[in-house]
Parts: sequence; structure tokens; C-alpha cells
Amino acid sequence: MRSILGLFAKSPFGPLAEHTQRVHDTVVLIRPLMEAFIEGDWTRTQEIYERISRLEHDADVIKNDIRDHLPKSLFLPVDRGDVLLFLREQDRVADAAEDLGVLLTMRRTPTPPALKRVVLDLVDSVIRTSEAWFEAAAELPTLQEASFAGAEVDKMMERIKRVSDLEWEADQRQATASKVLFEHEDEIGAVSVMMWMNILRVLGAVANHAENSADMLRLMMARR
Amino acid sequence: MTIGLVILAVALAAAFYMAWTIGANDVANAMGTSVGSGALTLISAILLAAVFEFSGAVLVGASVTETISKGIIEVGLFERTGPLGEDGPMLLALGMICALLASAIWLHAATHFGMPVSTTHSIVGAVFGIGIVSFGFRGVDWSTIGQIVASWLISPLLGGVLAFGTFITVRRLILESPDPVAATRRYAPYIIGVVVGVMTLSFIYKVLSRRFEAPSVLLSLLIAAGLGAAVGAVAGAFVRATRPARDAGTFTYVERVFALLQIATACFVAFAHGANDVANAVGPLATIATLYNTGFTEVVGRVGVPTWTLFLGGGGIVLGLATLGHRVIATIGRQITEITPTRGFSAEFGAATTVLIASSLGLPISTTHTLVGGVIGVGFGHGIAALNLATVRRIVTSWVATVPVAAVLAAVLFVVARAVVL
Repeated sequence: MRSILGLFAKSPFGPLAEHTQRVHDTVVLIRPLMEAFIEGDWTRTQEIYERISRLEHDADVIKNDIRDHLPKSLFLPVDRGDVLLFLREQDRVADAAEDLGVLLTMRRTPTPPALKRVVLDLVDSVIRTSEAWFEAAAELPTLQEASFAGAEVDKMMERIKRVSDLEWEADQRQATASKVLFEHEDEIGAVSVMMWMNILRVLGAVANHAENSADMLRLMMARR
Repeated sequence: MTIGLVILAVALAAAFYMAWTIGANDVANAMGTSVGSGALTLISAILLAAVFEFSGAVLVGASVTETISKGIIEVGLFERTGPLGEDGPMLLALGMICALLASAIWLHAATHFGMPVSTTHSIVGAVFGIGIVSFGFRGVDWSTIGQIVASWLISPLLGGVLAFGTFITVRRLILESPDPVAATRRYAPYIIGVVVGVMTLSFIYKVLSRRFEAPSVLLSLLIAAGLGAAVGAVAGAFVRATRPARDAGTFTYVERVFALLQIATACFVAFAHGANDVANAVGPLATIATLYNTGFTEVVGRVGVPTWTLFLGGGGIVLGLATLGHRVIATIGRQITEITPTRGFSAEFGAATTVLIASSLGLPISTTHTLVGGVIGVGFGHGIAALNLATVRRIVTSWVATVPVAAVLAAVLFVVARAVVL
């Protein structure tokens, strides 16, 4: 009983926005997570990690639902492959946030006092990059409404450029933090240094995937 | 004489059933996208459809008896002096009943399986079936078949191109502009004016000309231009007097304005549909009523359509859209949120314009097929979030199936009825 309107398929853009929101929810927990960890508050670290983990799972459910409802017979205003690539990169942002939680809860790793400030600077930078990514990705439904053309495209290009600038800044801060870590390597022992290297790398990965996901939005518009 | 009365009663019931399935199958054409876009609630869509379909059917619903019986099969062959002999007129009456029943059954099934088929093609196919049973294949007017096949291509293509053009225009002027709200306020009078102008022309050629002498082309164009300019100016001033909500999204205001245009277009499509398609149910009935008046002795080539039959047809259409159509749109309303008023308007307006152009050029065209093309056209303008191409295949299959299925069904019914009655 669908008649002519059976032509209209379920839009992927609504669920994509939902996925964006869920991923963003995991990212905003990174700052309290890192603070608790640096202060050595292991119960709170564990607690926040569990919240991130649940949100990441929610995002996965939405991701799979989008993939299930994107058959090749669907006619979309943008390339189907671009939509899937965007979704994958966006999902990896939440994956990285969860990985960070896993690293922080698997071992009680101490923080050299001198490292605290530079790490929190890096965290700020990562959060700013993610916020910029969120501002861009959350406007995808508006872009669709504008049929991927005109003034909305220009606004989106501006937002994407900002993500890229902020990600570069996060890279700089990750390098600085690594240097500071090795200056104080003797204070915490080899295993802790290895743990910290991983933590810094995963923090950087959050910003990297946010940037990649924003770049996929650029592809959606550019290939038209 | 009692058998005549029975035949008339059965014919009434069959015509009502046909009108009912026309309402059920076609209601989504006029109102579906408006409900899908949220421009109309389900209840108001049904009410508006009922009002406009009924008034279209009763006020200007006109006779296609010529196309239904004369254009497809030669009515003269059914005369008492014809090849069928004394039973000719009675066979014509039986044939018309079977044609009504067969096409109604096919439309009912198509509606049930969610296939938007052409009601006109359905009745034409059914009458073919009757012609073939009565006179063999020499009774078939192959040029009508050719026209139907041509309309499978022409309707969606032209509808698609015009809807694409409409949407691209809306996109260029409004959606792509740096300030869509200001652009809407600036262009609203012109867009409304053009829509009203096209509706006026369509009204004159598709609707009025069936009942009355059509005014000359120049006069029609002048009337359309004048009315378009007047309504555009007034409605445009009205739009400019409204303000967008302070915290609304970029396109909320734009879509609200287009929702009104979409509703106007939808009502117009419903009116034109009532006016044109009621004849598919009423035409064969009028033929039978005329035969009844002559005591099934004389075949009249050109029959008038009594007003009471239009009421019957209009009532049937309204009942159809209120009963089955309700379910059709309700399902849609829940499933679709993607089609916004700018998109729905573009598809509907493209379809309405196509029907106008095609009918003034004398091309056979189906509103249903045109609208399907219109929706796909908007999709090609990158306007629609997701179109289901698998559905297109299903719809096209049902289009092609309509004429042969209705023909075979009518033929079978006719053979049985002939054996029972005579």
C-alpha cells in the first residue's frame, strides 16, 4: 500500500546526523576522562570509560542500521561510496575515544607533574578540532536541503577548513607533549613511558579521524 | 424489461466500484507528497481531496464516452443490423459492465500491492478485451494501443524534464542564494504568478473545454497572464508581510512558503483528476443508461452524460479515497520525511504542466506516469535524499501489465456473462 510514494526511500541523512551526535557525545567525555586519569582518580576514570563505551556502542548500532538501509538500488544526491566513507571515518572518532578509555583503565599509569599541563593543552586542542568537526557534520542535513549547492557549500567549505587548521594545531601539541614526556622519562619507568606514547597517539587519532570525516564531506560536494 | 433493470442496477454497482478504485488508486498522486512533506495533515489531505475531486467530477466532469466506446471499438458494429445481429445492443451493455468490473478489479489489486497504474489505460485495456471477444483482432484500433505505448515513454520523460527544470529554477533562485529568506520574499510573487497562470491555462484547456467552447489561444493566454499577475501580486504581498521565526533554520521559512504553493497545486491536481478521470467510470455507465432508455434496441453513437451519473462517480471517488486512500497515505506519512515542500511542489507542478502541454498537443498522457517521472526528475536535480530505484522497476512493470491484464480479465468476464445472460 505505498503507491507512487514507494519511490521515496528512507533518507540516510537523518540517521547520519544522529550518528554524528552520538559520536560527539563520546568526544566531550574525553576531557573529564583525562582529568580523572591525570589526578589518579581510578574509579572515576573507570566510570567515565564505561559511559564512553556505551555511547560508542549506540553509535555502532546506528552505523550498522545506516549501512543496512543503503542498498545499491538507492538513488542519492551524493555518491553512495562517499556517504559510507564519511560514516566510517566518523565512527572511527568514537572508536578512538573508546580506545583511549581502554588504555587509561588497563593500567594505573602515573603522570609526571611536568606533563600534566601540556597533555591538557593537547586535550583542549583535540576537543576544539572535534567541536569544529561537529559543527560541520551537524550541518549535513542543511546541505542536503540546499541540494549540495550554493551558499551552503561555501559555508561548509569554511567549516571544513577550520577543522583542518585545528587538527594541525593538535599535531603540534602532540609533538610537544611527546618531547616533554621523554624529558621526564626517568620519573615513571619504561612501561609507563610506553603507555603514555600510546595515550598521546590515540588522543591525536581522535583529531585525525575528525579531520578525515570532515574531508569526506568535502568529497561529497566536490564530486558533484 | 426486468432483465434490463437488472443490467442497469449491475451497471450502477460496477461503475460505483470503478469510481471507488479510481479514488483509492489515485489519491496518492494528488495528495501523497503534501502529506509526506508535512504541508498537510492526513485528515486535511483527505478532506481537501474529497472536496476538489468531487467538485471537479460534478462541475466539469465530462464525457469521454467517445474515446471509451467509439475510439476503441466501433460502436456501430453493435447495432441490430451489425455482425452480432439482434443481440448487439445487449452485448454492448454487457460488455461495458464487464469492462468496468475488469478494470476496477485490476485497479483494486494494483492499489492493494501499491502500484500506481493509469486508470485510463485500465479501462481502455478492458474495452479492448471486449472488442477482441466480439469481433476478433480486426476490432482493435491499433493506433490507440500505439498511443498508450507512446505515453509510457512520453509521460514520465516530459514530467521528469519539467520537474527537473522547476526544481533547478527554485534551487538557483532560492536554495543556492546567500540569503534564501530574502530570495523567497523577492521571487514569491513571480513564482506564484507563473503557477496560477499555468493552472488557469490548464483549467481552460483540460477542464472547461470539455464542457464549453474554449476561448481562443490569445484570449486564454491573456486571461492566464492577467490572473497570474493579479494573484501573484496579492499573494506575494501577503508573503512579504510575514516574517521568519527568529530561531528557525535557514530553510524553515522557505519551506513554509512553498508548503502553501504545494497545497494549491495539490488541490488543483485533485480537481483536474476528478474532472478527467470520473469519466472512466461514468462513460461506460452513460452508454448503458442510454441503451436502457431505448429498451436495448438502439445504439447511439454519441451519448450525453447525465448529471446524476457524475454525482455517482464523484461520490465513488470520494469514498475510495476516504477508505483505501486513507490507508495509502497514512503509511506514507509515517515513512517519509525526506520530501520537503520545495521538492513536492516541483514534482507536482512539473507533472501538472506536462499534462497541460501534452493535452493541448493532443498527446495521450497519464497523470500517474507523469508524476512518477516528476519525482525522479527532482531526484536528478539532487533534490531528494533517497529514491528507491527498485520501486521504479516494479512500477514500470505494472504500467506495461495494465492493458493486457485488464483486456484478458474483461474478455473472460464477458465470455462468462454472455453465456449466462443470452
